[in-house]
Amino acid sequence: MKIIVFIDQIVSTQVKLQGVDFFDPSKVDDVDLVINPTSKNAIEGALKLKNTFDAEKEEEEEGAKVTAVCVRGLKPIKALREAIAMGCTDAIEIADDTLYTEDPLLLAKIYVGALEKIGDFDLVFLSAEEQSSSSYAVGAMLAEKLGLPSVLYAEEIENIDGGFRVGHVLEGGRKIVEVPQKALISTSDSQYFTPRYTSMKGILNAKRAVIPTWTATDLGLSANVVGKEAASLQQVSLTNIVIEKESYIITEGEPEEMVDNLLSKLKEDEVKLGA
Amino acid sequence: MKILVFGQIRDNAIEENVLGILNKLSEVFADSEISLALLANQINNDWVEELGKHGAKKVYTVEASELENYLSYPYVKSMLEIIEKTEPSLVLAAGTVFGEDLIPRLAVHHGISCAQRIVDISLDIDNILFHTPVRDDQAMRVTKLVGAIKFATTRTGAFFINENPSGKSPEVEKVEVTFEAEDMLVKHIEIKKAERTVNLKDAKLIVAGGRGVGGKDNFQILKDLATLLNGEIGATRACTDLHWIEETYEIGQTGQSVSPDIYIAAGISGAPQHLSGVKAKTLISINKDEGAPIFNYSDYGIVGDLHEILPILKKKLE
Repeated sequence: MKIIVFIDQIVSTQVKLQGVDFFDPSKVDDVDLVINPTSKNAIEGALKLKNTFDAEKEEEEEGAKVTAVCVRGLKPIKALREAIAMGCTDAIEIADDTLYTEDPLLLAKIYVGALEKIGDFDLVFLSAEEQSSSSYAVGAMLAEKLGLPSVLYAEEIENIDGGFRVGHVLEGGRKIVEVPQKALISTSDSQYFTPRYTSMKGILNAKRAVIPTWTATDLGLSANVVGKEAASLQQVSLTNIVIEKESYIITEGEPEEMVDNLLSKLKEDEVKLGA
Repeated sequence: MKILVFGQIRDNAIEENVLGILNKLSEVFADSEISLALLANQINNDWVEELGKHGAKKVYTVEASELENYLSYPYVKSMLEIIEKTEPSLVLAAGTVFGEDLIPRLAVHHGISCAQRIVDISLDIDNILFHTPVRDDQAMRVTKLVGAIKFATTRTGAFFINENPSGKSPEVEKVEVTFEAEDMLVKHIEIKKAERTVNLKDAKLIVAGGRGVGGKDNFQILKDLATLLNGEIGATRACTDLHWIEETYEIGQTGQSVSPDIYIAAGISGAPQHLSGVKAKTLISINKDEGAPIFNYSDYGIVGDLHEILPILKKKLE
């Protein structure tokens, strides 16, 4: 079994960079670059399937392979080493200045190029969304381009005969569907996909791993197909949101003082707590 | 200009966010022709009437047993047929799980990208501009799409619903679509509805907890305060997912929408997915992290540990 996991590297949302600064690469330190949390959920989903497959396989059969691929990010190689440390078998970096990854359609085209070069695969995993840029479209776009049956926002996966039974996020509940074995699954941050920690063995593997870097040319893609000039989604502006709401936020004092402060302000403003 | 909106059905009614989109569109594109696409096993005439009331001039319907439940392929196929018939310049869907599945796929078939989770739409000289909040709503990214037909999803809860709609009955056109076995490769099994035994919709005061609550047992502090104030408790999806509290208490995009007089947010960071379900007159938040986005939306706030603050608050109010 061969599973491909596409992961994003993002700027950690824990950094102090506020507003537009968050999107300015010159303000970002390397230590702030992390794997998108839901990409980690995708890695976990792939590794869970690998573990099940490996436990049930015949002795002479080869174990399942999980290949992590990273296109999106300032230092993809760092994310990929972590993916191997978590348990991925190998990794591929796709890095090229001509690639424009802010447009989900172009990203999907790059992923298709990567899969064509990889050749055989059984399953594709990726993150359902990248919250800090509010982008989620690449999973559906990739599935549609590949003509692969898919489930987005998966919350849990169960192996069944000839495929998978997958529960996915739905407003007001959960929807259960069945997909064939060759499919695309995007993962939510459900507890089922809580990412495992890196292991000692994994960290050693990650150190030793030789991670190839593929360029646009390697994928047979040119700038007029996947470069910024080809983007149909174009940014017009990026500005800080200034909220004009008047807030009374108490930042200092002992807990009791703060509560007193809040209660007297509520009284002054005639806001009643409770009946 | 022609606009087509995906008329999602949820619980045998028009998804509320679709009505919100119609209201917004009638504001921004006053003289455009707004059509709706309704896909179902059986179309209910009440849906058609409601859409007309909210501004739809024309409703395209596809009826087929394959459309009883949302599945990507049959829905994409039906929408593509309708798009071919109507030749809209803009196709919109609410950013529900289904809308976010549908729109990117339709866009791919037209060789174009899509705008995502917009909270506003505007016109400049010759472009439609899409406004998407990013970085926990700290910044606004405005984008445009290059192409004759444009696709976008809206953020759920972004637009108000017209309370007094006065539109007329729309024209209805049936569209025939035939489905093949390959359209049904993904099989619908069932929908497990979250139990909604507690109705938070009418609650006047809600004490809600997020990841910062830290565990199942700690919800007792919230319960104690809520009981004292004759209110209810609520939680973010993170809490219900971790089984700290039953899913009936979930508030937000995938949970209940609430509109209390007072909303006390304890240990809630303020993710858009949660806040899209909260319309409170007064928002009071308690969070250890001074930089938490929730403070931007709060009327009052304390930067502190909820485990210390809430018991003191309760004691003082007794």
